[in-house]
Amino acid sequence: MSREVVITGRGVVAPVGEGPEAFFDALTSRRSGIADGVGACDEFDSERWMTPKEARRTDRYAQLAIAAAGQAAEEAGLPDGIEPERLGVVMGTGMGGLSTLERECRNWLEGGDRAVSPHTVPMMMPNAAAGLIAMRLDAHGPGFQIGSACATGAHAIGEAARMIERGAADVVVAGGAEAALTGLCIAAFRSMGALSREGVSRPFDARRDGFVIGEGAGAVVLEAAEHAQARGADVRGRVAGYGASNDAFHITQPDADGRGAAQAMRAAIADAGATPAEVGYVNAHGTSTPFNDRIETAAVHTVFDGDAPPVSSTKSAMGHLLGGAGAVEAVATLGALEHGVLPPTLNYEEPDPECDLDYVPDGPREAGGLQLALSNSFGFGGQNACLALSAP
Amino acid sequence: MAPDQTGTATLTEDQVLARIRATLAEQKVPGAESASLDATWSELDVDSLDLVELVKTLEDEFGVTIHDEELKPIASVGDAVTLVLRLDVERASA
Repeated sequence: MSREVVITGRGVVAPVGEGPEAFFDALTSRRSGIADGVGACDEFDSERWMTPKEARRTDRYAQLAIAAAGQAAEEAGLPDGIEPERLGVVMGTGMGGLSTLERECRNWLEGGDRAVSPHTVPMMMPNAAAGLIAMRLDAHGPGFQIGSACATGAHAIGEAARMIERGAADVVVAGGAEAALTGLCIAAFRSMGALSREGVSRPFDARRDGFVIGEGAGAVVLEAAEHAQARGADVRGRVAGYGASNDAFHITQPDADGRGAAQAMRAAIADAGATPAEVGYVNAHGTSTPFNDRIETAAVHTVFDGDAPPVSSTKSAMGHLLGGAGAVEAVATLGALEHGVLPPTLNYEEPDPECDLDYVPDGPREAGGLQLALSNSFGFGGQNACLALSAP
Repeated sequence: MAPDQTGTATLTEDQVLARIRATLAEQKVPGAESASLDATWSELDVDSLDLVELVKTLEDEFGVTIHDEELKPIASVGDAVTLVLRLDVERASA
């Protein structure tokens, strides 16, 4: 890496809690944010982050993103003293402003062109969150959103780290958000057989039958190490490495032998200048679908060659946050590194012979001395991202 | 609303002001309920998108058509009230 990238702020809005501390505490207390077959952020109050007028004109996915980015910015002390042109925003979403799109489709079908709100486009466009966050932080550096379905949040953080490494920005707010608990979206995932019929997220368990859809957002403030040091910012962790790959296999199914997933993990470890043996924990993509969990397990075996570290899926506690997942799980992984505690995989009771790793079912588990961890995210489209995060 | 066959106004200032205030309130504009005729869009933080919404509501409610070029000089609540009242009379005289 050309410039070292540190993390100076973290934010999260998830079905199990808001704020990095409450969130990690919930994960390590084995609490679940899943109810009635979905992971909803029921406690989220948009008016803590924006005026009622702004909330009315902002899709829920962007509201969640603004809240997560706001927390991260507060923790990092942004934007005071940051040169606006050197401050970037790279966010992501898998689906965009779906609730807005659905509402306006209904209006259009019922009332014709005239019934469509002038706020439709700015609310549903998938780059709205990055724009709104940049306005709040006076961030005039590079700004855009990334879309790689369920890998979006991890790609956003990884690509933002690359921007800092190559000097395109000194500080970047990066993350992902999703709010797709809408009738159409749930019906669409259900119709392709991706959702758990039981409404239970049980990654790696023999009875797993699909993912539980959730909503939420995660964000981090990434910063060039020397920039953070010069302004005396507290360092919460480091982006030690990042790997990305494409299965180029099937639009929704993972590559049968986990080649793409393994390639992303290997690339992240190599980018960190580390060896697999130095990795002490993997926060799995672990969706609770029959395909993903079996193939991810195989990929972990390939990378770690018989000596895999503990692997857990925090999706067991909150469901699959789609475009928000990678960023929220990066915050979970940072919590593991900070506290030296591995969050558990909930609901894991019946082993599957094809899923034979240590999934921390009995966690939380002490992991003193944990220095390097991976956070895996694999998206529909075959797009994979792996973040190698390290302790401060 | 059917055109007034006598060619006189069918709307009052109070009626139009009340509808503008109600629409601004639906848009969650702070101070909408008590917005005065002098209040400008910039003071109320009403932008072009809010204005499109407001115009559509006024057109639907009062049966007038507001053209883009008529909208340009409209910078305050009072300007909008005056415009709607003028269009109402013009329509009634047509």
